Amino acid sequence: MRLLLVEDEDLLRAQLVKALEDNDYIVDSVQDGELGLYQANEFSYDAAIIDLGLPKMNGIDLIKAIRAEAKVFPILILTARDNWTDKVEGLDAGADDYVVKPFQIEEIKARLNALLRRAAGFAKPSLDFAHLSLDTSAKQLNVSGKPVELTAYEYKVLEYLMLHPGQVISKMELTEHLYEQDYDRDSNVLEVFVRRLRQKLDPQETLKPIDTVRGQGYRFNVPPN
Amino acid sequence: MSPQTSIQTKYSLQQRLVLAFGILLILFLGLTGLVLNRAFQESIAASVEERLQLQVYAVLGVAEPDADMSFFVPDLEEARFSQIDSGLYAFIFDQQGNEAWRSPSAVNMALFDMDVTAEDIVPGQMFYGSVETEEQGPMSFASYGTYWSGLEQEFSFVVLESVAPTDAEINEFQSNLWLWLGGLAVFLSLAQYALLYWGMTPLKRLAHDLAEIEAGNKEQLGEDYPSELRNLSHNMNMLIQSERQRQSRYRTTLGDLAHSLKTPLAVISGVIQQDQKLEQKDMQDVSEQVERMNQIVTYQLNRATKSTHTRMLLSPVIIRPVLAKISAALNKVYIDKKINVESDVSADSTFYGEESDLIELLGNLLDNAYKYCQQQVRIQIQNIDKNLQILIDDDGPGIAEQDRHWVLERGARADTRKTGQGIGLAVALDIISSYGGELKVENSTLGGASIQVEIKYN
Repeated sequence: MRLLLVEDEDLLRAQLVKALEDNDYIVDSVQDGELGLYQANEFSYDAAIIDLGLPKMNGIDLIKAIRAEAKVFPILILTARDNWTDKVEGLDAGADDYVVKPFQIEEIKARLNALLRRAAGFAKPSLDFAHLSLDTSAKQLNVSGKPVELTAYEYKVLEYLMLHPGQVISKMELTEHLYEQDYDRDSNVLEVFVRRLRQKLDPQETLKPIDTVRGQGYRFNVPPN
Repeated sequence: MSPQTSIQTKYSLQQRLVLAFGILLILFLGLTGLVLNRAFQESIAASVEERLQLQVYAVLGVAEPDADMSFFVPDLEEARFSQIDSGLYAFIFDQQGNEAWRSPSAVNMALFDMDVTAEDIVPGQMFYGSVETEEQGPMSFASYGTYWSGLEQEFSFVVLESVAPTDAEINEFQSNLWLWLGGLAVFLSLAQYALLYWGMTPLKRLAHDLAEIEAGNKEQLGEDYPSELRNLSHNMNMLIQSERQRQSRYRTTLGDLAHSLKTPLAVISGVIQQDQKLEQKDMQDVSEQVERMNQIVTYQLNRATKSTHTRMLLSPVIIRPVLAKISAALNKVYIDKKINVESDVSADSTFYGEESDLIELLGNLLDNAYKYCQQQVRIQIQNIDKNLQILIDDDGPGIAEQDRHWVLERGARADTRKTGQGIGLAVALDIISSYGGELKVENSTLGGASIQVEIKYN
């Protein structure tokens, strides 16, 4: 999952980047509204965290500008002013949720998780497909009710595919959303992850949940429960 | 209110002027009437006496006494002496009071008592009086004493005249007088009303303009007042403007302060959460203190911003669109809860005050309801008369009776409050209190808390 973080306070930005990266998110962080808008227009993100009090272009205007570009990824507001006028204005401008400073990192993670899942159309914290169930808060895969161990990268790939069920996801898109920008994009590594995932999800090859679409990418083909 | 102020405020300016001018008018016209009436009556009385005196001299001039003490009087020039019951009569009495002669007009008259003794009739002197007679009613008379040297006898010549014609004349004068004075009173009253209306117009306009500012329809007073009021209006404009500026400056400063305090708090909070060397217990302690500081900052800043509004600058805010915005925001945030919101808000429900206060009030109350409900929230808002009533119910756990008192303690400090419903309700309560309203916590028919707000604007 690739996130855009726009926060002007250096220390806080660094803390958030670290906490989010520890949680396996890919984070692009910038310190003002104009840079935030540039990033949002140039790259594809799964969600954004935007502080309301930003230099150059304030948070509200940034959110409006992002929505005006028809970007639909969820936006989480950080606000220091714990008043409803600001919250209502931010949510009205197109944000999806807010967190008031100072916050617990855990709260940001929980809200982000909920936003990402919700954006993909899931109301519950777990993504359920046939006998497959991915608990996004505990980062745990269950197959027929039994827990199955996944590596961090296997989890990321599976979560991304499950959050876009029925859509063809190119290898390029997957790398963009799962790896740092300077990562050496060797598609063979992805193929290895997908092969291992298929074995773990469906050892008997009865469900075949991940299709390979020749020349285009992968598709998670099981309809959600 | 002290008795002094009650007298000072009992009458309006217009009432004072009308009352004072009214009393003055009645006194002036009443006294004028009395003086004129009296002067007229005196002049009438004087002219009656003059006329009687002339008649007495006329009789005296032609009267011829006989040896037997009776008199011969030839026809008098005044025809009324010869005409029976004409209202003008002449008599001559001797020293003993015996009648020596009477005019033909007095043929039918009985004798009368003039109540004048012989001593009063001094020769050469005229005596005036009035008498009540059986036939003619009240009459004026003049009596003149004379000494007839040939007869060695004193006689008195008396002329009587009925007062009926003069009475009629006085009556007519009086009714004319009061009619004119009454007309004058009506005219002056109307003129006074017109003058007052004209004179008070600038004051009325000032009051109207102030009401318009209060209602939020106008920014400030015009400068087109008469010179006496121009200073006042100018100063009031300055006051209104500086109050507005002060409020917005205050708000901005406080907002900046909140921002600059909270970001460091967020950093500290982040540091302790990521510091591996800290003991779990220490981490918890520091976190708690950071959270406490945060609550104090939040609560006090909210309080400070809320209490700055002055009642004079209240403007009407239609509640429905504001509520729609807040609901849309909350629906986004609590979308996973699939809350069933039942809203009964009349289209004309109005809040008189700052829109931001209404947003904070509804935001905090509704956030609590959304947060603590299971599935059901009910919003009822209406104006009864001019008072605003807000009822927000939910089907959550409610607020236990023993916890309600600290929620409702005005001015209770943030650091003594528990987290949860408390801080939102405290902010809401502060806003409501600053508008002189009341907040009650009851059990809802939905099963949870029922927050009941009433703000009176009278």
